[in-house]
Amino acid sequence: MLTCKKLISNKFITLTIAVSGALLSGCDNSEPATYYIPKEERAVNTPAMPAAAPAEPKSSASPPASTAPSPMQMLPGMKEAAAKAGEFTYTCPPSWIEQPAGGVRKASFRIESDSGSADVSVTAFPGDVGGLTANINRWCGQVGMSPLSDQQVAEVAKPYTISKHAGRLVLLQGPSESILGGILPFHGYTWFFKMKGDNVTVVQETEAMQQFLDSVALKDDHH
Amino acid sequence: MQRAIKFIASLQLTVALLALSMVLIFFGTIDQVEFGIWHTQKLYFESFIVVWNYSENLPFGDKFSWLRLAMPGGYTLGGLLLINLVAAHITRFKMTWKKSGIFLVHFGLILLLISELMTDLLSVESQMPVDENGSSNYSFSYRDNELVFIDRSPGDHDIVHSIPTKYLKPRKTVDVPNTDLKVRTIHYYPNSDIGRSQSGNAPRSPATQGAGIKMGVFATPKAVTYADNQINTASAYIEVIGPDGPIGVWLVSNVLDDRFPPQMVSVGNQSWEVALRLKRHYYPFQIELLDFTHEKYPGTEIPFNYSSEVIARHNDSSKTQKALIYMNHPLRFEGLTFYQSSFANQDTTSIFLVVRNPGWILPYVSVLLMGLGMCVQFGMHFFKFLNKGSPA
Repeated sequence: MLTCKKLISNKFITLTIAVSGALLSGCDNSEPATYYIPKEERAVNTPAMPAAAPAEPKSSASPPASTAPSPMQMLPGMKEAAAKAGEFTYTCPPSWIEQPAGGVRKASFRIESDSGSADVSVTAFPGDVGGLTANINRWCGQVGMSPLSDQQVAEVAKPYTISKHAGRLVLLQGPSESILGGILPFHGYTWFFKMKGDNVTVVQETEAMQQFLDSVALKDDHH
Repeated sequence: MQRAIKFIASLQLTVALLALSMVLIFFGTIDQVEFGIWHTQKLYFESFIVVWNYSENLPFGDKFSWLRLAMPGGYTLGGLLLINLVAAHITRFKMTWKKSGIFLVHFGLILLLISELMTDLLSVESQMPVDENGSSNYSFSYRDNELVFIDRSPGDHDIVHSIPTKYLKPRKTVDVPNTDLKVRTIHYYPNSDIGRSQSGNAPRSPATQGAGIKMGVFATPKAVTYADNQINTASAYIEVIGPDGPIGVWLVSNVLDDRFPPQMVSVGNQSWEVALRLKRHYYPFQIELLDFTHEKYPGTEIPFNYSSEVIARHNDSSKTQKALIYMNHPLRFEGLTFYQSSFANQDTTSIFLVVRNPGWILPYVSVLLMGLGMCVQFGMHFFKFLNKGSPA
């Protein structure tokens, strides 16, 4: 009888240890590792939120569920930084439909044509936002083009005067969409004037875009 | 000892543990309003002990915010219930045909407790967004991050050296696996604000390379969020050390992602992209989204049905299969379960919840066993009653 009791006690202790061990082992066991993956292209997509994502995320750092109007990431403080870039005047081409500016956009336009549509945005950010090559390559990704080398960037980014300052005019034609954009470094900020739409509409609106860029006058407090 | 075993196997302990479970669920439900389901689950049900705090958001919160209540967590209660039940069988129950129904019910219950423990310990949940006519071979974890060094120099594949963020502890150095690099963490922030150092009073950034310098951004820590619809902005200042000494300090953050120019670390002719990103789980197959359907009740915005038509294309083509994923009809493929979770980008992106749970079958088995046990037990009583009532 004593042996039987002892057996039960031993079984019991073993069981307790086994269960405790199983419970305590529930820690994160991920370790540094190396793995091979199929060749990846860097995505330009906006990551989506988990289930039940609200249209307007509460945290400004949270990636939004829907595609942002601007492909530029809205970092916290970016909107305020854009507001400090200063004001500007322009003349809206007759074929363009002016849209309300919002977020980091200082101006926004919509173009509807028989062949499709295009979106025009004006944004300004402090610093060089990664430099000319990085900015143009970000646009390349948005129209499905492979990244360009510094030399290729120098070829596609033609010098263009915007608001009496030296800027660049860039035309990027992807498989179905194009971007025609002006880039202007201006007193510590970089201004982006970007028209993005289907290839035909962008070509059709090239002249209007150049007229728009020629009409742009940035408020210059530095002279 | 005998008395202790008797107590552990007693029905009184069962009742007390079940009562405590109800208390735990009650306070967990109250805190879920404030902390969200994910955090509450960790705090209350995946813990040994929990201290409930009277929230300031509750009625009279300003007067009772000092109130604390300690109670056993889910692991303690579940573990003790399991021990209690097994102990009862060892010490009190005798295996007879009359009790076979009860044995089946109890065995089902033990299996259910074990399966719950297995789910807590072994299951991995992540999200996989896939665009229509696009495909994906990995899913993200929205709660965990990893520091990665990616070598894109091979022509046909990329090499990812991954370090979980639990190794990013200030002043600690960790080897980048299978490289000559080491990483010394200067700061790691589980949640942070990323700002631009344009104003005069901006904190000095320790970064000497990459986005921290080129884009003039810096990270400042802030409280971790547990809200279900928010992602923590994990950021770190890391010093990369090559074979010949320190190379520089980079600011890495999960918001400085693929949309930004890659941050590069170079040693001689070898270069790596360095990034802190949401932890990825790669698979030997691709989930291709053929069509996402979002039906609404006519004339309203109330969703009626979401469904995703997908092809799971495996590297081994014999395993490739087509499926329609919709509410309560997940795709089970290669040990993973793909649930329809959400959608984005004007109904052109479908988001799947990807669950790896090796014990997914156990709850079904345990419920079947308990159902069978009840049928046997009640059936025996029923037939006994019938026999008693019938004339001799």
